[in-house]
Amino acid sequence: MTDLLRNEGNQNGKEITIKIENLVKRFGNLEVLKGINLEVKKNEAIVVIGPSGGGKSTLLRCINRLEEYQDGHIYLEGIDVEKLDVNTLRARIGMVFQLFNLFPHMTVLKNLTLAPVKVKKMPENEAIEKAKGLLAQVGLVDKMDAYPEQLSGGQKQRVAIARALMMDPEVMLFDEPTSALDPELVGEVLDTMKKLAESGMTMIVVTHEMGFARDVADRIVFICNGIVEEEGKPEEVLKNPQKPRTKEFLRRIL
Amino acid sequence: MELFKNFPFLLLGAWETLKLTAFSVGIGVILGTFIGMGRLSKIKLISYPCTAYVEFLRGTPLLVQISLIYFGLPQLGIQLAPYPAAILALGLNSGAYIAEIVRAGIQSIPKGQYEASRSLGLTHWQTMRYIILPQAFRNILPALGNEFITLTKDSSLASVIGVSELMRSGQFVISRTFQTFSIYFGIAFVYFLMTFVISRIVRYIERRMATA
Repeated sequence: MTDLLRNEGNQNGKEITIKIENLVKRFGNLEVLKGINLEVKKNEAIVVIGPSGGGKSTLLRCINRLEEYQDGHIYLEGIDVEKLDVNTLRARIGMVFQLFNLFPHMTVLKNLTLAPVKVKKMPENEAIEKAKGLLAQVGLVDKMDAYPEQLSGGQKQRVAIARALMMDPEVMLFDEPTSALDPELVGEVLDTMKKLAESGMTMIVVTHEMGFARDVADRIVFICNGIVEEEGKPEEVLKNPQKPRTKEFLRRIL
Repeated sequence: MELFKNFPFLLLGAWETLKLTAFSVGIGVILGTFIGMGRLSKIKLISYPCTAYVEFLRGTPLLVQISLIYFGLPQLGIQLAPYPAAILALGLNSGAYIAEIVRAGIQSIPKGQYEASRSLGLTHWQTMRYIILPQAFRNILPALGNEFITLTKDSSLASVIGVSELMRSGQFVISRTFQTFSIYFGIAFVYFLMTFVISRIVRYIERRMATA
């Protein structure tokens, strides 16, 4: 039985981490997602692009159930997320927000250790060691006793990424992680994300950074008016888009 | 002069007033925290009663509430001594006002804080306890200080059920000396002294928080 289930999650020899089937999300009468279908394989980095209000952020927020959806299914490693305890689900999915959302009343270190200690019951000193390791990876180990307000925007976002990684997520969701940053700080955050992608982290990134999409994405997904309009390898979608809406969008943004 | 002779006695009453107020605010903060959170609940079975509680206690006079608890409850077989009755009445009353302060405090925290915490896998209660309430309380500390001042003054109503706080002590002095003006003035002065000191402390905390 378990083998059967596992086979369902297998395609081309690669495990499917996230599978989205015909996802529909309405805010009142407004249909924001009109039947999204998407598969994300393990170790794959997906970049989601598209016009504002097209449903990109809403899609991410449905995956970890910050938003309820009205129809369709989302599977995490073959299991319908609605069948999982919502807190367990969220502990397995890391999320990085546009506005960082660090906890301002806690030090950087405490921001990182809180969730593993409270949710996973990790011993405090183990969490601290892990936090130091991750802060070193994002180049901020010297800031562990600082408070968020003492950091630059780029530093805050790198801390937020480290905080999400503390839970050893199976997939990371990035919701326009550089949109609130001053231009000169965008690079350091994108570099951190690029390293993460290279290390094999499964990622879904909503961004307007086309350079990042081109260099890092295994696949680009263009979402417009609540549906996946076009998807493919970066060179295909960016250089030779097939759909008129994709062409229109790329002409405006590039 | 009678006022100076009896001033230490008034100060003793002031000490009782402070204790009464502190206990009542203590109850009010605990009650107000839960009712304030309850008012924001999406579950109507929780939010409606909390709203009703706040509306009812803010919409009726404290004197009536005190009388209801001290003179009214015994008819239902619940007899409270003056001091616990006063603490209960003042605590329930301030709970309603503090609930509104707490609600505003919670609403002042950006929604992203709640979402970030929940997206890490923390439960609603863990998020409230570790993320939302600590930040909310920092924001509402000045408002809580003002509530403490209001309650210091309102606690004088406990004199009608015989709690020997400042007002009652003063009336006791008057019944012996008949010096109505000087003693009532003395009472007013001691209340002012208390509220003035408390408001300075609140302002000091406010300033320290602004720079922190």
